[in-house]
Amino acid sequence: MTHDASVRKDSGGNAVPAGDRTFWGRVANWGPYQAFSALLTASPRRQFLILAAFPILWLLTQHLGPMLQMLRVSLTDAYPVAPGTQQEFTLENYMRFFGDRIFWMPFFRTLTFAAVFTFCTLIITYPVAYFLARHVSRRNQMLMLLLLLVPFWVGEIVRTYAIMILLGNTGAVNLVLKWLGLIDRPIPFMYTSFSMGVGIVYLTALYMLLPLYSALEKLPQSMNEAAADLGAGAWTRFRRISLPMTIEGISSGCTLVFLISTGFYATPVLLGGPSTTVFAETIAGFFHVAGDEWPTGAAFAVIMFAAALLITGVFQKLMNMLRKGDTK
Amino acid sequence: MTKLLMNRRRFIGTTALAGAAVASPAYLRRAAAQGSGEVNIWTYNDFVPESFKEQFESETGIKVNVRLVDDQGKQFNLLAAEQPNPTVDIMTVAGHRFLQFINSELLAPLDTDRLSNWGNINPTFSESDWATINGEKWGAPILSGMEVLSYNTELVSQEEAMTWDTLFSEEYAGQTAYIIQDMMSIVMLMMGYDGNMVEYMDDPEKAAAIVEEAKQFLIEKKPLVRKYYDSGAEVQQMFVNQDIALGHSWNGPAAALINDGFPLGMTIPNEGSYGFVYTYNVANNAPNVDNAYTFLDAILASPEIGAAMTKASGFISTYKDASNYLTDLEKKSTSFPEEQLANLQFFRAEANELKYSLVDPAVEAVKAA
Repeated sequence: MTHDASVRKDSGGNAVPAGDRTFWGRVANWGPYQAFSALLTASPRRQFLILAAFPILWLLTQHLGPMLQMLRVSLTDAYPVAPGTQQEFTLENYMRFFGDRIFWMPFFRTLTFAAVFTFCTLIITYPVAYFLARHVSRRNQMLMLLLLLVPFWVGEIVRTYAIMILLGNTGAVNLVLKWLGLIDRPIPFMYTSFSMGVGIVYLTALYMLLPLYSALEKLPQSMNEAAADLGAGAWTRFRRISLPMTIEGISSGCTLVFLISTGFYATPVLLGGPSTTVFAETIAGFFHVAGDEWPTGAAFAVIMFAAALLITGVFQKLMNMLRKGDTK
Repeated sequence: MTKLLMNRRRFIGTTALAGAAVASPAYLRRAAAQGSGEVNIWTYNDFVPESFKEQFESETGIKVNVRLVDDQGKQFNLLAAEQPNPTVDIMTVAGHRFLQFINSELLAPLDTDRLSNWGNINPTFSESDWATINGEKWGAPILSGMEVLSYNTELVSQEEAMTWDTLFSEEYAGQTAYIIQDMMSIVMLMMGYDGNMVEYMDDPEKAAAIVEEAKQFLIEKKPLVRKYYDSGAEVQQMFVNQDIALGHSWNGPAAALINDGFPLGMTIPNEGSYGFVYTYNVANNAPNVDNAYTFLDAILASPEIGAAMTKASGFISTYKDASNYLTDLEKKSTSFPEEQLANLQFFRAEANELKYSLVDPAVEAVKAA
């Protein structure tokens, strides 16, 4: 039996190309559609614009849009607008921050915590990344990375509760210390800057580890070998070769961790104590309070956002200068 | 190739649908909320017993969508942001917050004629002065709660727990916790003032001075507290983990722990405390009003349902005869001796504007100190 798959005959006995059989085939061969397609793809510039349209639209509506909306709310005197009232623009919400010192403490506390925790994360994850990139065989690197990723398969809250289970008065750490006879009464780890720090370092470690691993992995082994041949010790090799050549990874990791740390809310709420109130909690307070407090919360969020960006901008500049200084 | 084309088309179609959903304006969200057989409820954890929900859904065909909330302010802001086209039908407002919701036109008056089971509510709650505003009823009382001093009975004696001073004593330094906003009212009461601030409505300067005094007290006592917390689940966890020995809490979460066999006690201390009543309310412009009334009438139908709500949440039922369906332990955990109840007064709403304009910044100051 033979079957001609490419040609079919219409009711008048005329041959119809296979492409015209389906609805989409007919659309594709429809004159206006073809003219429209030709118009859209007439030049590489147009093709680029069409390709870029969706990502740009996504960025505008999903990323920039909410931030612009927050900025707009921060400049109003009331939101949501109560029935029968009129919304007016004002800078009062920003003035409230600069005019009332009680808000400065959580603000600067947040920036200090973020800087300290970023540094701790760097100190803790650098050796891990170094070991992974330089001492684990290529074959096992992916497996090790996968193992490090396992905790990130669950959400932030679940991981925070894991820390609570670990550090609580009846948690694993206290039980082990008690079992070893090192303590009689549990050490109150929880609800302190320590427990909060442990939580934040744990939650942000991967954001530091991956850029560091990426930078260390590119480091040629031959450079270390050459330095060793010339008599450089391990510390000198690290200080003169590994560290300067991974500045880019350090810079990326620190920026990511710092920015994320300034915005953490659930972790400080769950792990922090009375003396660790961070700015995100202050901001959240304005959104929880029933009344016209959203604009103040939005203004405070904008202030924190701007401060975090400014600090990371200065940090990046410094790292760039360091890098250039090293390559001279 | 055909397969690839189909996948691409499907992808484009799915993306377009997802994009449309994300970008959907309020009227589309409302249309989604307005499903023919649904009722959308914002409420606290365990306030809709699971067994009742399943039975109601199977008997009426109305699907119950519960969105959990943990704060009155959040409900207010969410609803205010959604009005005049809210997605919620029934919400859970505490009686002393009625005025704020009513003044902002967020609640619809409750048509009690549509509730054949309205009479099942204890009149102490359904007919009390706070329940009627502008000549209308605004909510169906379901559970009653109070601010109590909870304590681990293995570490703290009942005698010690009969005064709020123990919460601020050096002996229990680092072993206490409280909700700071609620404690402001209690501290004012401890100092002999009116924590509702109704007495000072005509004297804002005195009100400000009292709040300042309470604020300074809490700042001074800050080194002694282990944790300022927000939700009932947090304080339960702290007791279970033995992170705290005593704390201020709502009676519901404390009773739930007692019913689970945890060595916990609770008192209404001698200096006094405040009580409140949770009510189910119909939102203004609710998308499924008829379903909302069907749900309300069903949940008020029998004292067993009230008892189930008490068992799950630990708060005291407002239903007549609900206690007949509680075990002895459950009865014990949801009742207080007469002499302690005499120390209790209800939160009032009249001076809320004055009160919270002073208390909210004070709370921030204590946290920041």
